[in-house]
Amino acid sequence: MVHSARDANHIPSVPDRNTEQYGGDSREKVMADDVVDVLIVGAGASGAAVASSLAETRMRIVCLEQGGWMNPAEYPSNGRDWETRAAREMQTSPNLRKRPADYPINDDDSPIAILNFNAVGGSTILYSAHFPRFHPSDFRVRTLDGVADDWPIDYGTLEPYFAENDNNIGVAGLAGDPAIPAHEPPLPHIPMGRMGEAMGRGFNKLGWHWWPSDSAIITRPHNGRGECLNLGPCNAGCAQGAKSSADIAYWPANERAGVELRTHCRVREITVDNRDMATGVTYFDADGIERHQRAEVVIMACNGVGTPRLLLNSTSARFPNGLANRSGLVGRNLMLHPWGMVAGVFDEPLASNFGPQGCCILSQQFYETDVSRGFVRGYNMQITRGVPPVGTARGGIAQGTIPWGDGHHGAFDRLFGRSIHLGICCEDLPEEHNRVTLDPDLADSTGIPAPKISYTMSENSWRMLEHGLARGAEAMEAAGAKRVQKASSPLRWAGWHLLGTARMGTDPERSVVNEWGRSHDVRNLFIVDGSVFVTSGGVNPTTTIQAVALYIADSMKQRLASLFD
Amino acid sequence: MARIIGTDNPLSDDQQRVLAIVLDLIIPASEDGQRPSAADVDVLGYIRESESHTLDGLRAELDQLDAEAFESQGEAFTSLDPATRKALVDAKREREPHFMRTLAMQTVTCYYQDDRVLEAIGVGARPPFPQGYEVPSGDLTLLEPVRRRGKVYREP
Repeated sequence: MVHSARDANHIPSVPDRNTEQYGGDSREKVMADDVVDVLIVGAGASGAAVASSLAETRMRIVCLEQGGWMNPAEYPSNGRDWETRAAREMQTSPNLRKRPADYPINDDDSPIAILNFNAVGGSTILYSAHFPRFHPSDFRVRTLDGVADDWPIDYGTLEPYFAENDNNIGVAGLAGDPAIPAHEPPLPHIPMGRMGEAMGRGFNKLGWHWWPSDSAIITRPHNGRGECLNLGPCNAGCAQGAKSSADIAYWPANERAGVELRTHCRVREITVDNRDMATGVTYFDADGIERHQRAEVVIMACNGVGTPRLLLNSTSARFPNGLANRSGLVGRNLMLHPWGMVAGVFDEPLASNFGPQGCCILSQQFYETDVSRGFVRGYNMQITRGVPPVGTARGGIAQGTIPWGDGHHGAFDRLFGRSIHLGICCEDLPEEHNRVTLDPDLADSTGIPAPKISYTMSENSWRMLEHGLARGAEAMEAAGAKRVQKASSPLRWAGWHLLGTARMGTDPERSVVNEWGRSHDVRNLFIVDGSVFVTSGGVNPTTTIQAVALYIADSMKQRLASLFD
Repeated sequence: MARIIGTDNPLSDDQQRVLAIVLDLIIPASEDGQRPSAADVDVLGYIRESESHTLDGLRAELDQLDAEAFESQGEAFTSLDPATRKALVDAKREREPHFMRTLAMQTVTCYYQDDRVLEAIGVGARPPFPQGYEVPSGDLTLLEPVRRRGKVYREP
C-alpha cells in the first residue's frame, strides 16, 4: 500500500512548527498549509542527484529552481549562426548574460570571475562535461602534505556513488587509467581524433601520463537518449541531448519518480523555529508573489556561491550571522581552481575543430605532490579541441596572425583545424580570507542581496600555475606544435568551480556540516553542493559533487528514523 | 552630400560602395574562386541585426573616408585606383584602429558563417545539429607506454 510504504519512510516531524520566525514586509505573501517532507533548493548537478536518490523513499519531495527549463531545440548549434548566438545568448557570466533567472555577483575583488548558469540543470547546461574523479589523495591533504585539512570521508566512501552517478547519467571513458583507482565507465570513450593522437604522442615522448578523459557525454544510446554527434559547441548547450546536463540526465526520471519541480521560484531565505530547526523557505514564485513552503527537511544545492548567499541572508535572533553559521565559516574558504591555458598550432591538419569541445584526453602527470617542484598538490591538464571558424578568424585578427587582404585565406587555413588547447586546472587550497559575503548595495531583481566575492591567489597557486604553463608549453612542443602561446593566466573567465564555502567536518567549530552533510547547527538542514568540499582537488569537480550528493542522500536514507538526533 | 534612398537600408548608395571596397580589402575573394570576397557576403545585414549600435559610427567613418579621398586626391574614394584606396584605408587603420578593428571583427564574424565559406573550409553549409561530424576514435595502442609505467596515484 502506498500509505504504508510512505509512512514507513516518513521522517520525524520538526518539533513545534508553529513557532517559525518569518520576516515581514509589505509584499504579498502566501503561506502554504502543506508541509513537504524534503525541500531541495536548486535543480543543478547536486540537487538533481540528491532528488534522484531520495525519490525511492516515496517521501514528498519538492525542488525550487530559480530558472526555467531550457529547450535544446533552441540551442545555438541548431543554426548556421551558432557562433554568434553562443556568444550572445550563452554568456558564461551572469553579470553579462542577465537572463531573468540570473542574479548579479560582485566579483570585482577577484582575479577570477564567477561563472554559472541558472536553469533546470544549473551550470551543467554550459559545462564541458570533462568528468575526472578526485584522487584518493585529495581526501587526505593534511595527512599527506601537511596543508589544509583532511576530509571526514575518503575515496572509498564515495567510490560506489561515483559508479552510481556514472550509470545514472551515462559516462564515457576507457577503463585502466593508471592515474585513478580502477573503474569501468559504462560507455566507450569519447573519440580522440587526430588531435588527441598528436598530443598522446607528445606526452609519450616526454614519458608523461595521459589518458582519454572520462566525459559526461553518452557515446552510445543510454536511457532513451541519443548518442553524441560530435557537434562541437557543448559549452553552449547540447542540441542532441547527449551531454549529460542534469536537466536531461536526471530531471525527467526524477519527475517520473514523483519529485515535484517548481521552476522560476527564487528562494530568499530559510526559515527556522526557536529550536534551531528549519521550517521551510521563503521564495518568490514566477509571478513575483512571495510564498512560504514548509518542510521537514531543507536541502541546499545552490553551488558554492549561491548556498552561502542564502545562508548568510537567513538571519534571525538565533542566527544573527546567518543560518548554520555558528562556526563563522559560511562563505569562507572559497576555492575557484585558478586556470591556465596554452595553445599550440600545428602544421598538419588535425580537424581539431570537430568533436566535444572540452573532452578529449587529459594528463595527470603533475597531479600528485612533488615538493621539488616548489609547491604542494598539483594540477590536471585538460586537452580541449580547436577553435571554430569565427573564433579562429577573430583570434587571428586580434593577434595579428591573420592579416587583411591577400594573405588572409592562407593564414586562416594555417590556423583552422590545426590548433589544440591545453587547460591547467590548479588545485586551490582553502584560505579563510577567500570568501563570499553579501554585497551591501547590489541586489537581484527581487531585492535579495547579491553575493560579493573576495578572493586572492596564494603563492602556492601562483607557483603551480607557472609550472603548469611551462609544462603545457613543453607538451605542445613535444607534440609538434610550430607555434606555442601561453595565455595570460589565471584566466579571468574561468570561475566555474565554486567550492568550500560550507565545509564538511566532524568539529562544529571548524566546519559547517557534519560528515554526512547535515548542518551542525540546524539538524534538519543539509548541504549537498560543492560548498561542502574541504579541499578542491585539481580536477573539474562535477562528478565528485554528484557523488557527494548521492552519498549524503544515502546517508539520510539509512538514518531516516533518527535523522535529527 | 550622400543621397539617401527610400529603403530600410541603413547606408546610402555611396556609403555602400565605400563599404564594399573596404570589405574587399579586409577579405578579398580567394584565387581559386571558392571563397567569396567579404563584399559579397551580407556584412551590413549582420551589423544591422546583431550590432546595430555601431551603425552610426559606421556611417560617419565611411563618409569621412570619402571626404579624405576628396581632400587628398580630389576624387571620390570609389573613383580611386586600388593602390590609393588601400593606402587611404591603411592610413585610417593606423589613425583609428578601434573603428577598423571593430569593422574587421564584424566582417569575419559574418563571413565565416556564410554558406559558401563554410563549404569551402570544409565544415559544410549547415549547422552542426543534427548531422554532426565524424571524429576518429583514435589509436589506443599509443597508450601502451602509459600502461607499462603503471599506477601513478598515491594511496593515502
